[in-house]
Amino acid sequence: MNKKYSIFITVLFCLFTFGFGAALILTPSRDFSEQENRFLTQFKAPTADTLRSGKFMENFEKYVSDQFPLRDQWIQLKARSERLLGKQENNKVYFGTDGQTLFAQFKAPIQEELEKRVGFVNALGDCLDVPVYFSLVPDKSAALAELLPANAPNVDDGTTIQRAAELCGDSVTYIDLRGALVSNSDFYRTDHHWTTMGAQKAGQALLEGMGLVQQAGDLKVLGYQSLPYTQVSDSFYGTTYSSSGAGWVEPDSIYTVIPEGGTKGNVTVTGYPEGAPIESSLYHPEKLEVKDKYAYFLGGNQPLCVIQNPDAQGGRLLVVRDSYSDSLAPFLAEEFQEVHLFDLRYNNMSLTQYVTDNGIDQVLVLYSVANFSTDINLFKLAH
Amino acid sequence: MIFSSPFFLFLYFPIVLILYYISPLRWRNLVLLIVNLIFYGWGEPVYVVIMFASIAIDYSHGRIVTRCKAKGNDRGARMAVASSVVFNLLLLGFFKYYNFIAGSLAAVGAGFLPVIDSLPLPGGESIPFTLPIGISFYTFQTMSYTIDVYRGDARCQKNIVTFGTFVTLFPQLIAGPIIKYKDLDDQLEHRDHSFEKFASGVQRFTIGACKKVLLANALGPLWDVYLATPSAQLTTLGAWLGILAFSLQLYFDFSGYSDMAIGLGRMLGFEFLENFNYPYISKSASEFWRRWHISLGSWFREYLYFPLGGSRVGKGRMVFNLLVVWAATGIWHGASWNFLIWGLYWFVWITLEKLWLGKVLDRAPAWVCHVYGVFIAIVGWAIFAVEDFSAMGPYLAAMFGFGAGALDTNFLYYLRNYLPILAIAIVAATPLAKTLWHKLPERARQVAFPVLMLAGLVFTTAYLVDGTYNPFLYFRF
Repeated sequence: MNKKYSIFITVLFCLFTFGFGAALILTPSRDFSEQENRFLTQFKAPTADTLRSGKFMENFEKYVSDQFPLRDQWIQLKARSERLLGKQENNKVYFGTDGQTLFAQFKAPIQEELEKRVGFVNALGDCLDVPVYFSLVPDKSAALAELLPANAPNVDDGTTIQRAAELCGDSVTYIDLRGALVSNSDFYRTDHHWTTMGAQKAGQALLEGMGLVQQAGDLKVLGYQSLPYTQVSDSFYGTTYSSSGAGWVEPDSIYTVIPEGGTKGNVTVTGYPEGAPIESSLYHPEKLEVKDKYAYFLGGNQPLCVIQNPDAQGGRLLVVRDSYSDSLAPFLAEEFQEVHLFDLRYNNMSLTQYVTDNGIDQVLVLYSVANFSTDINLFKLAH
Repeated sequence: MIFSSPFFLFLYFPIVLILYYISPLRWRNLVLLIVNLIFYGWGEPVYVVIMFASIAIDYSHGRIVTRCKAKGNDRGARMAVASSVVFNLLLLGFFKYYNFIAGSLAAVGAGFLPVIDSLPLPGGESIPFTLPIGISFYTFQTMSYTIDVYRGDARCQKNIVTFGTFVTLFPQLIAGPIIKYKDLDDQLEHRDHSFEKFASGVQRFTIGACKKVLLANALGPLWDVYLATPSAQLTTLGAWLGILAFSLQLYFDFSGYSDMAIGLGRMLGFEFLENFNYPYISKSASEFWRRWHISLGSWFREYLYFPLGGSRVGKGRMVFNLLVVWAATGIWHGASWNFLIWGLYWFVWITLEKLWLGKVLDRAPAWVCHVYGVFIAIVGWAIFAVEDFSAMGPYLAAMFGFGAGALDTNFLYYLRNYLPILAIAIVAATPLAKTLWHKLPERARQVAFPVLMLAGLVFTTAYLVDGTYNPFLYFRF
């Protein structure tokens, strides 16, 4: 290397490192990453304490990484490069063989863990006089197994649900949703949640399981089954997309079928997002403007939400919920006078007390199989 | 602080370069000393105290040895050397081996040493008792200094700032290469800063960063899968795939780090000795260790093996010397029994080669020797990598056909997913790319180099910013 050429290389390297370093310091920090759906680390000025404990350094390194210029583009470049190298996954997300469906990895719980968890549901059944139903939403990897990369480990093969159903005691009725959710359109491609179509099919199966509509063969035609689907968004990128970095995947669309207020227009919703009751609605169009568009349904996670439909035939249903219940709720509201969505993660009231106090007729414990395998609040079920 | 982080590459190092090059020559060692201490204190600020102690004690011992020698007091000089060695070994022994010794004694019913979880600080606080990073490297470097001053191989350093710069020199502080003072002596006083040297440093650093971030980090998750696989489910092909991934990961992690150190050194005007030379093309155990972690092997040879008499002794004594050196090499890699076993594993092979096997290998076809060399290295890594004693046996058993069958469906998935990166890594572990590169005409290289360099930096940055997986295997050594 002669001198001129060496200067060229030196300048090139310095431009690259100094350039991005300077851009990092000079450009304003972002609060939130839409792509990753999380708050980004901000610069925190050092104090004597944080310097000595090393917390300042730890935070600062995260800050540099989070606020790095063009962060979203770097993440996408990495995902594309992984795919180019023949990888079928990135950041624990499988790329479906159709190139468009993303699967979050699923780790089946060990038998003892599952026994303990189903035990909490059985305990709830034992201490309540009303019927208790239990159902798990199959993981997308079980429902759409044909789109998974061949031999992919860490997916749901349906056996977790099988084992959970077998562990149910006499006081609990298990409702199997595995047969209902098998179509590509039942789950969002970029998110772990079921779509409105998936929720509708699951709703039908749940109502059958609870004896509210007759079994197949003499199927009761539900009032909304002839209604058309309305597209409310064509730009939904879900949480699986966020962690995958798979920039080549097209956004999902969100549809509704039940209109606001129900088919007869008399459904009212009371939300408890901050603990106090407020007037709410089945749908929250303002959430379609933000990243987490799934919160369009009922407005997102909250400790409690009560939906009333005085004209309905069914009685009072309590659902021990996770977020899957939010898009299912409009269908349940058609059939029940009251639907109480009770979230153990944010609600510390006694569930059994609540059932008695509110004259609940039936309880449904409904979780996605992934949430049921990992949630740390299940012990509250029978508390 | 580690080199393979956006913080180091885009803020810390650029700032160091600016401060370094705007300072007049005579201030540069002081600038380096300061940035070295910040670099070291970044992860655990309290441990900077160890650095100060190391500098002060080794500096003064060097001075004492020199003064004693000037007065003809050989006994005094030897005492000073011994005192320095004892201090460094105590430092290393306490932080690295104390809990291992205490735990092992307790396991055989002699638990008179309490296990330490945290160190109390003045003022009533305490910090977790962790291994200060790089302690295995810098204690060896400073030990060699006093010994070399006594032997007359190195001059005594009278300037404590210059000496402190040597002890703390950040490019090689936490993962080597292990540099002897005598090899750096002149450069500490006077070093050339030229664009040619800087550019060659850039080249070397970029290669190292790519090896660490694009190859080692990419292979790590594959090994993690098989390390986490319960023994009862390990299949033969799976176990081999896992340990192959680890063998390549470790090589690219460590040699990539050495390359980055050498590159950063050059950018600051230093020239460090090489640490790796394509170990996986070795034809024997002895050759492997002349190509793997060269600076460690040469340290043990010079300061342990030769003083014991080396090979110029009777056969029995030589075998004993080898046993001592390889037990020490093993346990240097970590305070755990598997590392000792791994050291003894190499002792067996190297002794066999010295006594008899070497002559057989000399007559064997080259390919047989290559297969032998890479095979014993990989089997050795299984002992090295599976620290859990109850898992090591089953892992080795699975490798040799006593596992849960030949292959499982997971293996097919992982093979399919990692085959391209494995192929790239295997080729990159041979000198092929280097040979081809030097066959290119000068002009083509000049055009290709900046393109490849930028591509390397861009992809490294992408993987670092995404940064979900960036372990550093030699952190604990």
